[in-house]
Amino acid sequence: MRHDRVLATAALTAIAALALPLGDTGSWQDHPPELALWSAMIAIALFSFFRPAAMAMMAGLCLVGALAGAVALYLLLQDGARGDAAIGLWIGLIGLAALVWRALERGAALGAETRSTPVNLAVPAAFGIWLLYLWQMLTIGFGVPSVLLPPPTQIATSLAASAHVLGEDFVQTFVKSMIPGYVIGCGAGFLVGVLIDRVPFLQRGLLPVGNLVSALPIVGIAPIMVMWFGFDWQSKAAVVVVMTFFPMLVNTIAGLGALSRMEGDLMRTYAASYGQTLRLARLPAALPFIFNALKLNSTLALIGAIVAEFFGTPIVGLGFRISTSVGRMDIALVWATITVAALTGSAAYGAIALLERSLTFWHPSFRRV
Amino acid sequence: MRKILISTAVAGGVLAAATAQAADKVTIQLKWVADAQFAGYFVAKDKGFYKEANLDVTIKPGGPDVAPEQVIAAGGADVVVDWLPAALAAREKGVPLVNISQTFQRSGLELTCLKSSGIKSPKDFPGHTLGVWFAGNEYPFLSWMAKLNIPTDGGPKGVKVLKQGFNVDPLLQHQADCISTMTYNEYWQIIEAGVKPEDLIVFKYSDEGVATLEDSLYAIGDKLKDAAFSAKLARFVAASDRGWEYAIQHPDEAVKIVLDNDTTGAQTEVHQKHMMAEVAKLITDSKNPLGYLNPADFDRTVSILLSSKSTPVITKKPEGAWTHAVYEESKKTWTPPAAK
Repeated sequence: MRHDRVLATAALTAIAALALPLGDTGSWQDHPPELALWSAMIAIALFSFFRPAAMAMMAGLCLVGALAGAVALYLLLQDGARGDAAIGLWIGLIGLAALVWRALERGAALGAETRSTPVNLAVPAAFGIWLLYLWQMLTIGFGVPSVLLPPPTQIATSLAASAHVLGEDFVQTFVKSMIPGYVIGCGAGFLVGVLIDRVPFLQRGLLPVGNLVSALPIVGIAPIMVMWFGFDWQSKAAVVVVMTFFPMLVNTIAGLGALSRMEGDLMRTYAASYGQTLRLARLPAALPFIFNALKLNSTLALIGAIVAEFFGTPIVGLGFRISTSVGRMDIALVWATITVAALTGSAAYGAIALLERSLTFWHPSFRRV
Repeated sequence: MRKILISTAVAGGVLAAATAQAADKVTIQLKWVADAQFAGYFVAKDKGFYKEANLDVTIKPGGPDVAPEQVIAAGGADVVVDWLPAALAAREKGVPLVNISQTFQRSGLELTCLKSSGIKSPKDFPGHTLGVWFAGNEYPFLSWMAKLNIPTDGGPKGVKVLKQGFNVDPLLQHQADCISTMTYNEYWQIIEAGVKPEDLIVFKYSDEGVATLEDSLYAIGDKLKDAAFSAKLARFVAASDRGWEYAIQHPDEAVKIVLDNDTTGAQTEVHQKHMMAEVAKLITDSKNPLGYLNPADFDRTVSILLSSKSTPVITKKPEGAWTHAVYEESKKTWTPPAAK
């Protein structure tokens, strides 16, 4: 018999939970459906402990058990189990956590073995759902005031109700502020990088200045940009330009030095001019570095656009929405805005990563070992 | 060995006695930075009024990103200075704030416009750009625009609204035609920046009939049910009112005390003197005694907030949002001199 400590923990704590009270809502015997689901989970945990199966089977079995347990606990919460009195619920949650751990671990191992994309997408998604579930259980179970941390269901409701408003905010922040700033900032960084490569003398002067500019805190330059460029998207784009310029500059310079000696010599034997060498050999070799900067800048640009909006904006934009909703104590809307911003940032990063994959497929970092 | 035991027992006894006589702790969160807008509290602390009431008061200055409702909801303060609309909105969102004393009887909120923008009366607003504070200070403005039937989303018949930072730059940089100011603070920042009063036209919210109650003291309703806590706050209110009375009678000394308490060093004596004078007007220009919440004023604020249909500040009439109990008990400790 293998000693799967995690499954043992899951089974033992789940059994212990059965003996403990559930606060205002009585005890497990008063809730037959939840009791049935919970017993199913215990049965699966014990079965998996005594008869460990192959990866896929274990992952699936533990997942089913965890789902049964999760539904049981959620129903108990809905029925009124709250606070420190419902100790059975919380001990049960610990047992459920152990079972979820085993399910996710087996799922991840399965994904690594079979290299199957659906599994490799499903396991992180399941982990995310588990975190949301924990969040919901803990905020409602311990009566956390919604002005401090609202439960995910309230955030989802707010997101649905304010979808139109958040859509306009998205357009203002992402489309009108971030994209122009990103294009100008990265473009300028790239061009200055090529210029420095052509005229090495400039490197000594421009690089420290670029370093200084990038070190300026956003909360300092944002009000100044608002004063220079006005309240609308132009000042936010200016902040994004300042933030994205230096990373792009540094990475372009590093990338342009990445071509190996052999290839550089080869181009020389072909009597290639500077421009030809740049276009045909050095820029392709620099692409991994440039994409590195582009991915980094996508995150910085979004942060810059949102934070710059705290300092003066026409009354639309993700940053505006966050700062005014906090003032109105509408914390659910704050989290809904954060969700939109997080999804936007992830999507932007993912899009650039996909583009990188197609253009720099030859790079060793993409090899599957 | 016996000597050690005896001396430890004596030390313990002395400590116990000392803690038994220690003053009650109160933490107050201010709505804004340490300036003459809160002179009463600084004066009460520096002149020893809190000490005489057996209180050990910690005054926490606020700032642009400090929402007093959040601080008190998270347990960071026992009592906060806040404006009534923001407190009622927080109450609806689940923070049970209760008004225990009304400090400012008149509203100091106003819209200051450049005469060069061509605005002569509120009817001229459409087509112009107005700066408005948010973070809880936008409710009176939205009610006013709803009353005048002017849309705030920037169409040709509406006004373009800017989220103004807590400064007067939009007016000085001509990025807005009008900005929100307080009679005691930002208006004087504009004057001190070199703009002449003749070049400005000011619309006071109180003249337009959309003024809401401003600086007042709030505590969490559930905590007020504890008699000891309520009594402690009553002594605090009494000592604070005593501080306000002193500050109004001795404005120059009050300004000095405020400047001593300004850790940022950003406040100037000139600015604080203007502020103290204007704040005194807001407190004394009323038949209500110092610190008393007139229920009629409360109801007027509530009806203004309920009337803005487009962006509801509160959706229903608040119940139990104020109490006179703390104020009445504070009068037993100290009463303001009879109103003139």
